Amino acid sequence: MAWVSAKYAVRSVGRNARRTALAILGIGIGCALALFMESINRGRDELFARMGAYSGAGHVRVVPGNWNERRDPRLRLADWRHDLAAARALPGIAAVTVRARAQVLLAMGTHVVPVEMVGVDPENEPRTFRFVQRVQRGRYLRPGEPAAVVVGKAIAERLNADLDDEILASAMGRGGSIESAMLRIVGIVTTGSDDVDAGICQTNLEEVERLSDLAGAGEVTVILRDWRQTDAARAALASQVARGDEVLTWGEISPEFKGHIEQDKATSRFISGVILLIVLLGVASAQLAAVLERRREFAVLSAVGMSARRMVRLVLLEAMTLGFAGAVVGLALGLPVVWRVATVGLDFRKYMGSGYAFQGVIIDPVFYGDFGLWIVPYVLAVAFGATIIASLYPAWFAARTDPAVALRVAQ
Amino acid sequence: MTTLFALARCAALLSALLVLRPAAVMPQKPPDVDALLGRVDDLYRSKSSIARIEILVSNPRTTRSMRLRAWTRGEEEVLVVIEAPPREQGTATLRVGQNLWNYLPRIARTIRVPPSAMLGSWMGTDFTNDDLVKESSLRRDFASRIARRSDAPPGWWIAMDVKPGVVGRWARIELLVSDEMLPVEERHYDRKGRLARTMRFDEVRTLGGRRVPAHLVLTPADVEGQRTEMRYLELQFDVRMPDDTFSLSRLEQKR
Amino acid sequence: MRGTSTLRIAWRNLWRSRRRTALALAAIGLSVMLVLAYDAILRAYGDWMLETITGPMLGHVQVHAPGWRKDRAMDRTLRDVSRTVEALRRDPHVEGASARLYAPALAALAEEGFAIVVVGVDPPAESGPQRLLAGVEAPLRHGQVFMGRALAELMHAHKGDTVALVGQGADGSLANDLFTVAAVIETPVDLVNRQGIIMDLGAAQELFSMPGEAHEIIVRARDPARLPETVAAVRGVSGLHGAEVLDWQTLAPEMLSLVQLVRVVGVFALILVFIAAAAGVANTMLMATFERTHEFGMLLALGTGPGRIVRLIVTESIVLGMLGAFLGAALGIGLVALTHQSGIDFAALTGRGPSAVSFAGLRFSLRFHPSLALVDVAQVAGAAIVTSIIASIWPAVRAARLQPAQALRE
Repeated sequence: MAWVSAKYAVRSVGRNARRTALAILGIGIGCALALFMESINRGRDELFARMGAYSGAGHVRVVPGNWNERRDPRLRLADWRHDLAAARALPGIAAVTVRARAQVLLAMGTHVVPVEMVGVDPENEPRTFRFVQRVQRGRYLRPGEPAAVVVGKAIAERLNADLDDEILASAMGRGGSIESAMLRIVGIVTTGSDDVDAGICQTNLEEVERLSDLAGAGEVTVILRDWRQTDAARAALASQVARGDEVLTWGEISPEFKGHIEQDKATSRFISGVILLIVLLGVASAQLAAVLERRREFAVLSAVGMSARRMVRLVLLEAMTLGFAGAVVGLALGLPVVWRVATVGLDFRKYMGSGYAFQGVIIDPVFYGDFGLWIVPYVLAVAFGATIIASLYPAWFAARTDPAVALRVAQ
Repeated sequence: MTTLFALARCAALLSALLVLRPAAVMPQKPPDVDALLGRVDDLYRSKSSIARIEILVSNPRTTRSMRLRAWTRGEEEVLVVIEAPPREQGTATLRVGQNLWNYLPRIARTIRVPPSAMLGSWMGTDFTNDDLVKESSLRRDFASRIARRSDAPPGWWIAMDVKPGVVGRWARIELLVSDEMLPVEERHYDRKGRLARTMRFDEVRTLGGRRVPAHLVLTPADVEGQRTEMRYLELQFDVRMPDDTFSLSRLEQKR
Repeated sequence: MRGTSTLRIAWRNLWRSRRRTALALAAIGLSVMLVLAYDAILRAYGDWMLETITGPMLGHVQVHAPGWRKDRAMDRTLRDVSRTVEALRRDPHVEGASARLYAPALAALAEEGFAIVVVGVDPPAESGPQRLLAGVEAPLRHGQVFMGRALAELMHAHKGDTVALVGQGADGSLANDLFTVAAVIETPVDLVNRQGIIMDLGAAQELFSMPGEAHEIIVRARDPARLPETVAAVRGVSGLHGAEVLDWQTLAPEMLSLVQLVRVVGVFALILVFIAAAAGVANTMLMATFERTHEFGMLLALGTGPGRIVRLIVTESIVLGMLGAFLGAALGIGLVALTHQSGIDFAALTGRGPSAVSFAGLRFSLRFHPSLALVDVAQVAGAAIVTSIIASIWPAVRAARLQPAQALRE
């Protein structure tokens, strides 16, 4: 008997081609929209994670044990070489680098600028810090190069200094003595944001070691190939690092940034919810309209002896068939759009300048959608979900049809 | 903050100007630069000193003057107590090594200046770290030669170019030394060769048994109308002073 | 004559098939309501973001002595500020104004000094919602200060402690005095929390030897959208000739970018939402009209002209559309009105996400108040009506063209 229902369902769907086509189109458009929205959402999550990570935080970072509370740039790792080796041994990494920081005063003549100088590994740093991937003027540091510094444009301006100028850098050494060094500006970085520019001042690690009179690195920063593995990577690394050091995720390093992402996610979920609701509404009303018009048909079926339960099943089966077809249409409509957005991206730049920066992170307002295996299950879920929920009332309604009432002529 | 800085600065300048020895009148032939600079370098060293100084800081908007007493020992210990204006009388600053404390009589508190503020204040507007720490040496760090003769005031211009590898702000210093072998004017050029600031020394008097310029004016080159002046009212060299002069407990008792 | 009878027939048709009408009304009405609800939230989001950005520290317009923003020199001050603030408050463009003083200083509980910034403010003016001292209940009495929470933690300071403040007065003199910590506070501004000690403006003026002077006047505009007029009005206030008057967009372009981005993304999403709604309404109307082909066949067979049928259907759609839009708008406005006063807690609505978020040095609380503009309602309602009309035209025309016998068979 179930088979009969199925056959009937398929046949009735095929019988009124136009109605069916309309229904399928409706579902399809709804699915496509929902798909598009979801792709953008996922793409944006990835965008923020990438921006944050590549703005210096990395995905995971090995830091000294008490760094999280004190955030003192002078803290150093207990055994940085051991930690570096452990980080390099992690699976799924894209880049690893070390850094050491010091509070330094830069001076040129009577112009003076306090900065946080970062001692880096020039080979690996550009892979983890996007702002030094392109040095607009001059060049980036070379490994082992002494007495060289790369600064942001805002710093150079405040010092009234230019490329190839020698500036004096002074730092408080460990015993309270003052260590100084002459550094040559080999590169000037322009990020487009004064705030971010003012935070860029990089030399070789050895230089910072000398100036701060503290040996070793203060952090080992790791960029993963898949940002979603952050927590797993943290757990794996935490067991391997030297005692006294700990491992943080980028969300813990920049909680403000993470908060912004969470809020953004919440907003976009809300929008997705609204869209899904509207899709549901559209499908439901269309289904209901269809069912209403088929009252006579249902009345006949009821008169002929179909049980209420079977009628419900009938309607639901029809709905599922429609849903499936709708999903296919949705994919057909949505995939090209999602593909385009995933490759070319949505460029909001013309609406708002080049980018916006906060907490030392610059966000390019070009959103790339996400394209992955999740697409097909998602569309199917939306399509089936919408049509089944949308058909519940009509099914119930159909089952309750009183044959006698319905078969009356007035329509 | 800048006032604390000013106190530190004048302490610096003190050590900078200690022991300016009087000189015999110079002959007209160019002096031996090396020996001359050696003396100028050594003029900035002393075992101990006590001085009374007047400081004037002016910028286009305000002018401020202070009078203070300063004790120094070696290059590491400085104690400065403000005598005037009355509102700040009794405020004291103690520097031992790289630590800096301020005593504020009005609230009867001693506060240690944190390293971050100290670095900034030392290398702030007018005086540099070099002045305070005195690690640079004109003779050692600069290749010098007599540039030319000056007639008004009579003396010799010495051009000093920094030797390669030296850590410091100045690429070049031009020093005008009078026939009395005392500095008259010092011009500092930054690492790009731009004039950054000028120091003038005048009012040569005998203080503490020596001929010294008692008045100093430091003028930054690219800031409008800004100037710092220092004038020695009294100065004594190599004075014996109690061992605990440069201690916190004494800091709070100084009046 | 023809027109009215069409209308009357249309009306009767609608009420004859109540369920179908109800369904169509529901489709249109709910779609309109949802779009309006989203629009209201979007608008609220924009307003709230603007308020959060400009509320605590930035204000809508700021006034400084020329050059102060560059070097923050203590002696670059605005003179005679209380008179200027009074004059500003009287201006019709201005909703509120107050003066501030900023002085770097050292703070110490015991011997250890900490680098801080003293912010002298006018507490009553800064105590509204979304302002600097929002939520701070303790009064600020003579000889008392508020300390930022992060600073207090760093210094191990508590309420009731005595703190020494040492700084430089505007005339270069040494400013120092003892103060009691009246409260440890959390402000929306990160910098204040990490490094700030807040004092009454008058007390600060006394401490730093600058009677009647201040470094900054912030102005809140009555209409934040009319920024240039407000700036012009502020410039014209006596006592501010020669002062630097800037709006928040010039002062914080990164905030402006943020607001713009949010707006752009919001509009983008609105379009998506709108398309979804239109699709739903269209689908419903198409379906409903196609289902009535049999009925139209009957009418055709009875002699009704095809043109008449089309007109009938269009009229029905117009009525449906208007009714549905009206219902939807009413529901939407009602919903917005309900939540407008109390506000919506965003975190509760979405079920996740933090209840406060920090961004660019500000802390945003995620509660905001939806609002609608008449133009929004008109736009959405109009679009719904147009959509439903257009959606019914195709099936109507098709039906009218059919042979009655064909139509009857459907």
